[in-house]
Amino acid sequence: MNDILVTAATRVGNPAVDEWKAEGKGIIGHVCSHVPEEIITAAGLFPYRLRGIETQSTSIGDTYFGPFICSCPKAILENAGRGKYSFLDGAIMVQACDSMRRLDECWRKAGEDYPGIVPPFFHYMGVPHKVTDYAIDWFVEELEKFAAALEAQFGGKVTSEALAEAVSLHNETRRLLIRLEEMRAMDNPPLSGEEAMTLILAGTAMPKSVYNPLLAEELDAVSGRDGGHGGKIRILLAGSVVDDLAMFRTIEAEGAVVVADTVCFGSRDYDGLVEEENPSFKSLARRYLNEQFCPRMFGYYQKRLDVLKKKIADANVDGVILQNIRFCDLHGSENGLFERDLEAMGIPCLRVEREYGPLGDEGRVRMRVSAFLERIAQAA
Amino acid sequence: MITAGCDVGSLTSKAVVLKGNRILGSAVIRSRTRPEAAARQVFDEALAAAGIEEADVACCLGTGYGMKKIPFVSGTKSEIACHAAGARFLAPSAMTVIDIGGQDCKATRMDKEGNVERFLANDKCAAGTGRFLEVMAKILDVTLDELGALSKKARAPVTLASTCTVWAQADVIQYLNSGETVQDVGAGVNNAMAARVATLANSVGMAPDVCMTGGVAKNQGVVRALEKLLSIRIVIPRKADPQLAGAIGAAILARKAAEGKGA
Repeated sequence: MNDILVTAATRVGNPAVDEWKAEGKGIIGHVCSHVPEEIITAAGLFPYRLRGIETQSTSIGDTYFGPFICSCPKAILENAGRGKYSFLDGAIMVQACDSMRRLDECWRKAGEDYPGIVPPFFHYMGVPHKVTDYAIDWFVEELEKFAAALEAQFGGKVTSEALAEAVSLHNETRRLLIRLEEMRAMDNPPLSGEEAMTLILAGTAMPKSVYNPLLAEELDAVSGRDGGHGGKIRILLAGSVVDDLAMFRTIEAEGAVVVADTVCFGSRDYDGLVEEENPSFKSLARRYLNEQFCPRMFGYYQKRLDVLKKKIADANVDGVILQNIRFCDLHGSENGLFERDLEAMGIPCLRVEREYGPLGDEGRVRMRVSAFLERIAQAA
Repeated sequence: MITAGCDVGSLTSKAVVLKGNRILGSAVIRSRTRPEAAARQVFDEALAAAGIEEADVACCLGTGYGMKKIPFVSGTKSEIACHAAGARFLAPSAMTVIDIGGQDCKATRMDKEGNVERFLANDKCAAGTGRFLEVMAKILDVTLDELGALSKKARAPVTLASTCTVWAQADVIQYLNSGETVQDVGAGVNNAMAARVATLANSVGMAPDVCMTGGVAKNQGVVRALEKLLSIRIVIPRKADPQLAGAIGAAILARKAAEGKGA
């Protein structure tokens, strides 16, 4: 696999970031799959999805967030506090969930104690929790405000042409990732879940214009390859943010292969295209509110269950691992419903509560995964 | 055929040597920093107790948190599968197993063949584990065996408000400082432990008979409190030490593997 993709998937900094900065162009960090990256791209900037990878502790994060909060935003703040996000020219905060919303105020507050950690452009944007006509109108207003703020800060203009170009570029990323998903669903997938996730994660930390050709090249290279995963237990990974490879590694080390997912950073980010004919903020609003799998959206459980069932059928899944980061109320409660409904349909499920990726508790998770795979194998 | 199971847990390591349905020898030791050393020691002790040589063992399987580090086993199985198999051996009518180990607590429901149907394990927290009782016994200045017996002598067990082991410890100290008896506080500890475990047992959807394994099954105070909370009779293995259930299960699964029936 291309080194740039591996580095982008596993490190906060990567050569694509360095090159972009060397060209004097701006990078905007964001924290949620509900942020329309197309607007950032159309403004001539590079949308970079923030992660808490590489953190060894959350001493800074804990200071501002308190103990009973998901460790993901804490780890992001930790990286910011330690200067790892000094390459950002801006960041956009949204109320993805309550924990992530607090990153806005905690980051600002931490900036008083750690001077220079808050990027020069720091914008808060509202994202509705429901899809109604007035919610879409409101979201369009929020997107307009965001675009205007970017224009005022960075000087670029989000023209209709630039937006159309950005939509086409980001849709191209989605099409490539959908092709990757189809490959993973094969009887003998050419890549492991870990390799697939490496490819997916890289795209969140690279400009799409650089990422797309590299991804296409990788997909061509692995297409038709015998991945050696035929006959393994096939797992779908669902739930909270998974933005590092440890979870995939743990599951696959026990002899399974992760053939599909619905996690944040995974398939959630590429399901559903934006209309390409005369794209507008309204078409962005529709895609980003309608085509989402996150339980932050209220009242769409049945739709999410249907998506899950379809992915299970498409990838011929043997079992579903429903994981959530500790204190994630949204995924924690929805995973219970998924477990109830999928088990009733005869689909084995394992619910796991865990710490955020790099702070993960591998031994505990491994024991549960191993017992779960034994259960599936026994029933086969 | 002689088979063996080696269960390297977080607090204790256990080994069992099995011939047919007869336990030839077993051993329980405190786990050591290096799981491979603990496994070697406990296995040697079990072999000595059985009066046989390692070469006489047709197959040995490992389980427990240290299982991947045991050099002499021919395979591994999760604690869930091993405790289910062990419980079925010790109490043939068991359909549900509650296993409380040193650092976790698991409830497993089985089908008629003894296969795992569903299991739940506690979250990353010491509440509801053997470690919780160990911490409390130390503060109460009693042994783990004595802690279980305190419930019988209690008049008015105290209530521990917090689920957190550290805060519950603060509660216990507060009660002792206010003059509550060790018996009442000890019974409160056993009740609190049972309450944590009851949640898990209810969530897994119990089917009778319910069997309890792991070291905490020897604590009568917890067992009685749990029976009361779940309104169910709990079967405690008499055939062998319930703490050995995981190692026994591993030895049974080792026999199945050696006989080529899969494990």
